[in-house]
Amino acid sequence: MPLSVSLSIEGDTTVIELAGELDASTAPDFHQTIEKAAGHGTATVEIRMAGVGYMASAGLRSLVFAQQKVAGHVTVKVVGAIEPVARTIRTAGLDRSIVLTDG
Amino acid sequence: MPSTTVIVLGDRPAPPDTLLAALRTMDAELVAGDLAQLLNAPAELLPRADVLLAPAEVPGESVRAAVRRLRRWGAAPVVVVWTVAGFAALEAHVRLGHDYLVPPFLPALVAARLLSCSERAELGRTLREADARAELMSYEKELEIGREIQAGFLPEALPVPEGWEIDVRFRPARQVAGDFYDVFELVHRRRLAVVVADVCDKGVGSALFMALIRSLLRHTAEQSGLQHLMAAGRAGSSRRIPVVGATPLLNAVTATNGYLTRNHLRQGYFATLFFGVLDPATGSLVYINGGHNPPLLLDADGGRPVALDVTGPAVGVLPDCVYTLGYAQLDPGDTLFVFTDGVPEARCPDGRFLGDERMLDLLAEARPGRPMTGRDVVDMMDRAVREHTGSAEQHDDVTMLALHRPRAARGPYAGRRRAVA
Repeated sequence: MPLSVSLSIEGDTTVIELAGELDASTAPDFHQTIEKAAGHGTATVEIRMAGVGYMASAGLRSLVFAQQKVAGHVTVKVVGAIEPVARTIRTAGLDRSIVLTDG
Repeated sequence: MPSTTVIVLGDRPAPPDTLLAALRTMDAELVAGDLAQLLNAPAELLPRADVLLAPAEVPGESVRAAVRRLRRWGAAPVVVVWTVAGFAALEAHVRLGHDYLVPPFLPALVAARLLSCSERAELGRTLREADARAELMSYEKELEIGREIQAGFLPEALPVPEGWEIDVRFRPARQVAGDFYDVFELVHRRRLAVVVADVCDKGVGSALFMALIRSLLRHTAEQSGLQHLMAAGRAGSSRRIPVVGATPLLNAVTATNGYLTRNHLRQGYFATLFFGVLDPATGSLVYINGGHNPPLLLDADGGRPVALDVTGPAVGVLPDCVYTLGYAQLDPGDTLFVFTDGVPEARCPDGRFLGDERMLDLLAEARPGRPMTGRDVVDMMDRAVREHTGSAEQHDDVTMLALHRPRAARGPYAGRRRAVA
């Protein structure tokens, strides 16, 4: 299943909205968007994941990559992830460096 | 079916009747088109043809541009330019390498010229395909070498202590894998290290990090194996007892995490892993679960499996994080089943996952009344994964390891006294 990725700026937040499946075949699109988002220099990068039905480990890698790409003071938020996706993030311990919220 | 397809450009001037008549008598499929269409139509609507027949009066560069688009879609037609009197324009085309037709447009002459062009187009296609195949073969050869080298990073033979059984199933989704397992002896063969890990993502990148992470874990564990230090238990737990083997375990995971986060954080690769150290004499197990799917401890009586939950984050993500130790006990008849996410996340052709629940159901259905060995568990789960995947592509590496402590031969309940670590 493909992934749709959209990028917008709302005030001091860069919003990346994802819908579909985040896996090894779709993660490169997300990576490109992360690079663009990191260039915006906003205080927060918000990744809206309510539309993501499945996230493979390649998707987890994208989140680590996002954390690395943004400047140190920038907060990366994952918003609205469904329970299986949120569990994947928590199991790997990524919720310690990324803010995970229900949205 | 005609052997040759010819695109007849309708751009002005229109082909003379004698040429059209000659074309119609040929064994050829004629496709009408014009330059504007060939240059602008979506690629999937472009015709496939052996020959592109154009009047000399259309600009040579435009024809070349059209051919470039047609080539992208598979076949590059050979260009044949005709003219009745525009010989200067014709010469310009010939300089670009285009073939040509001039009057008289006798059917036999036209057919002979177009068929020879068609053969050239076919030859060109064959050469390009051969090139592409050769390129693919050289990539495949490289990947095959990668696969062989990676196989060298998996244990050649498993050191299985007396009174124990270890069964492994390792099925990579591609030639090179991000999953790995390892079994090796520690502390003068008094302890056995058992590792199952999954490097994130897949393909060559994961495979490179697999080699690094496996080596760091094993090397650090083996090098620190001689220090019998006291290790702290779970935070807040009163269980602070000396556990032989806990030091190499903690050192290996902490040092690997430190190395990865110091040197490779930018690349975003990390591994989830389960690293257990078994005392074969007593069946006590001390472990770290770094962000990995919780392994299942299956007791001899078919009770509900106990999940060995995470005791720290995935390795390579967070600098300076704390890994706590988990403890478990394997009594005779018990099995520890360790696996990677390729098992619960196996997908059937319509996209559904096998799922953790289904795994637990399978174990619940199979185990009461029938004591299972580690091999039974691995076989059953592997069968479930294969049946569930069916005709779908295997998306992820599948790794399973079962550590089983057979019951003593004397009888089913011999030696079931709980040993203390």
